[in-house]
Amino acid sequence: MPLSRVVFVLVTLGLPFAFYTVFVLWPFVQAFVYSLTNWSGFTDTFEFVGLSNYAALLKDDIFLKAVRNNLLLALVVPLVTIILALALATMVTVGGSSTGAVRGLSRSSFYRIVSFFPYTIPAIVIGLIWSQMFDPSSGLVNAALTGIGLDQFESFAWLGEVSTAMPVTMFVIIWGFVGFYMVLFIAAIKGIPAELYDAARVDGAGRFRMTFMVTLPMVRETIQTAYIYLGILALDAFVYMAALNASGGPQNSTLTMTQDLFNTAFKQGQFGLASAMGVVLALLTLLFAAIVFAVNRLSGGKEA
Amino acid sequence: MSRSRHRAGVVHAGGNDAVRDRKKDWMDLRGNSVDRRSILRLAMAGSVTLPALALAGCATGGGSSDDPTTTAGGNTSETNPFGMADKSTVEAVIFNGGYGIDYVTFAAGVVEKTQAGSSVEVKPSTQIAQELQPRFVGGNPPDLIDNSGANLIGINTIADQLEDLNDVFEAKNLEGTTIKDTLYPGVEEPGTIDGKLVAINYVQTLYAVWYSASLFEANGWTPPKTWDEAIKLGADAKAKGKFLMLWGKEAATYYQTLAIGSAIKEGGDEVRLALENLKPDCWSHAAVQGVFKALETIIKNGYMKPGGGGTQFTAAQAQWSNGQEALLYPSGSWIENEMKDQTKADFKMTGFPEMTVTAQSKMPYTALHSAAGEGFIVPSKAKNVAGGKELLRTMLSKEAATNFAKTKLAPTIVKDTVPADGFGSTALQSQSKLLADAGDDVFTWKFVDNYGMNQDMLVPWNAFLAGQFDAARLTSELQKITDKVANDSSVKKVEVK
Repeated sequence: MPLSRVVFVLVTLGLPFAFYTVFVLWPFVQAFVYSLTNWSGFTDTFEFVGLSNYAALLKDDIFLKAVRNNLLLALVVPLVTIILALALATMVTVGGSSTGAVRGLSRSSFYRIVSFFPYTIPAIVIGLIWSQMFDPSSGLVNAALTGIGLDQFESFAWLGEVSTAMPVTMFVIIWGFVGFYMVLFIAAIKGIPAELYDAARVDGAGRFRMTFMVTLPMVRETIQTAYIYLGILALDAFVYMAALNASGGPQNSTLTMTQDLFNTAFKQGQFGLASAMGVVLALLTLLFAAIVFAVNRLSGGKEA
Repeated sequence: MSRSRHRAGVVHAGGNDAVRDRKKDWMDLRGNSVDRRSILRLAMAGSVTLPALALAGCATGGGSSDDPTTTAGGNTSETNPFGMADKSTVEAVIFNGGYGIDYVTFAAGVVEKTQAGSSVEVKPSTQIAQELQPRFVGGNPPDLIDNSGANLIGINTIADQLEDLNDVFEAKNLEGTTIKDTLYPGVEEPGTIDGKLVAINYVQTLYAVWYSASLFEANGWTPPKTWDEAIKLGADAKAKGKFLMLWGKEAATYYQTLAIGSAIKEGGDEVRLALENLKPDCWSHAAVQGVFKALETIIKNGYMKPGGGGTQFTAAQAQWSNGQEALLYPSGSWIENEMKDQTKADFKMTGFPEMTVTAQSKMPYTALHSAAGEGFIVPSKAKNVAGGKELLRTMLSKEAATNFAKTKLAPTIVKDTVPADGFGSTALQSQSKLLADAGDDVFTWKFVDNYGMNQDMLVPWNAFLAGQFDAARLTSELQKITDKVANDSSVKKVEVK
């Protein structure tokens, strides 16, 4: 190999890989090692305790509750966000007048900007805004509901009732992300050759049929990517939870693994156990991505 | 990947010369990619074996040997009892919460004068555990830490890495009096673990039920002494369109503090010891149940403002101190300073001791739940241990302690720093009165903090205050939390006698 090529490989591959090793792989390995110890996090000594941290997690109802909450989030948040984002993107790109060239609704760029807007706000701010909106006594939501005569919502604690805390939290996350994924899908749909739509229309396809037979198959890969991103976000969700219900919500109904991990590490001084939680979370995330890929492939998404 | 391979196949099938040339290029690249792969494989192997070799090290290396950089001690003397080295530097990390850090900066200024040539750095932090965790592991913690706030370090976790601060209490203050003779009784209690004074809790905190003296006067109300009187007051409040009490979601356990305090006064030491030692059925004691039942009645009768489970706690507190939507709020004495900007003019915040269940309680009504807060610790591995202690000694001297009481409207553990007019604060006046009335009947408990149970306990308390749980369910849920800790052999128990 000529020297220039060796230098090229070292710079383009070696350097990033060195960084990747030091800042990604190494901490992973470290976390795994700590998960096998009883390290408190504040000493330079610890003992290896084998897999007993993992055994403890299996018996820890609070952690298991957090796992269930995360799985629920990973199921609902991506699904609802993607359906809404796709519907909006379709309206903006191909949902317009059925005469002339295929196009979106009139003034679609306005809708695009408006719905993208929440994404420009940092997650923590979104969380704080909505926690004020849902405040039982002075929040806008209850003010509006009691204003139209629904008196049962006087001082109703949306984030303090087991039945509503999780749905409200999901709503806030979805609200923050629909716009971004709409823009992502618009880009994907714009990449579909217009001839396909024209041909479909000539064949007599209506808007619904065009959406399901042309748009969806053509943006399939984008949907898969979006699903994985949103799933990872839902398995984390720390920022939203910290702003909406920092202590885990009523009867821990919105407690997530990341929150439990944080409390275990810094409040209870059990870094070993917390590292085990981190490893479980990482495995669940990988599993989630694998499932999404598998579902897409099995349903014929890829030329296998 | 599969897609690009697929496309390559299409190119291959193309067949004309140009395409074949391109294919050749591509093959070259493929050829090189074998080299690339072996590099990858090598790097991968390295990344797996390296950590395996260095497992024992990791982030935890480096601190195990004795720190050679520790500043050598100077000579001890009357004015320098811990032998702080000449012209040395002291680093203090102070929790920047309700009390700010300026009171330590004030003491730092004094140290720089009394120990000429020394310099004291005071750094604020709101995330004590996260910020200092790596420094504890690395063996270079600061010389003095105010371990406080929501993200404090569990003191049990680091107790064996901390200095025994008894010599600070034994030392003379800047005025020449032995420090322990200038303090309120029992102040060493909260910072003592297994007989070692690991933390000096600086701020004298007392727990009471707070109300607006002006509002009570205008309506002819008096503070209730028993829970029955409290329930009656709830009816009066309702007649005026007000609630008796309210809560915020992060502070639901303030009602647990109130309930335990009240139950200990009712049932005496046996209630306190049962809870402290996590006895089975400790929550089923008649005195505890008496309080829970009374609270249940208050909640059922609608005297507790609904919606607290979804309200941020300072917002809830403002509904009491500014909106006057509720009459009473149970809290520690930090409440006046915390709500300073959100208290109605002429509110006249005043505290009274926890209600008792009956008039025949084992401890008198005036008995008080009081414990010092803001734990100051000196890590043994700090560079300037003597400097950390010297700063603490200065803070416990008259000048700095008075400065604290005056600017924070809260007494430190140093006695006689608050004048009769409480620097014009009704809350501070009532604190002095409560402490004086209680005399020696002062008690506290530590099990909730010792075992880090507050987070778990918030859950049933929020449910109970919102009316989702009754007293029986609250009891069983709390018992479950204490039983879990009691039966966990990996948790070191602190026996209380």
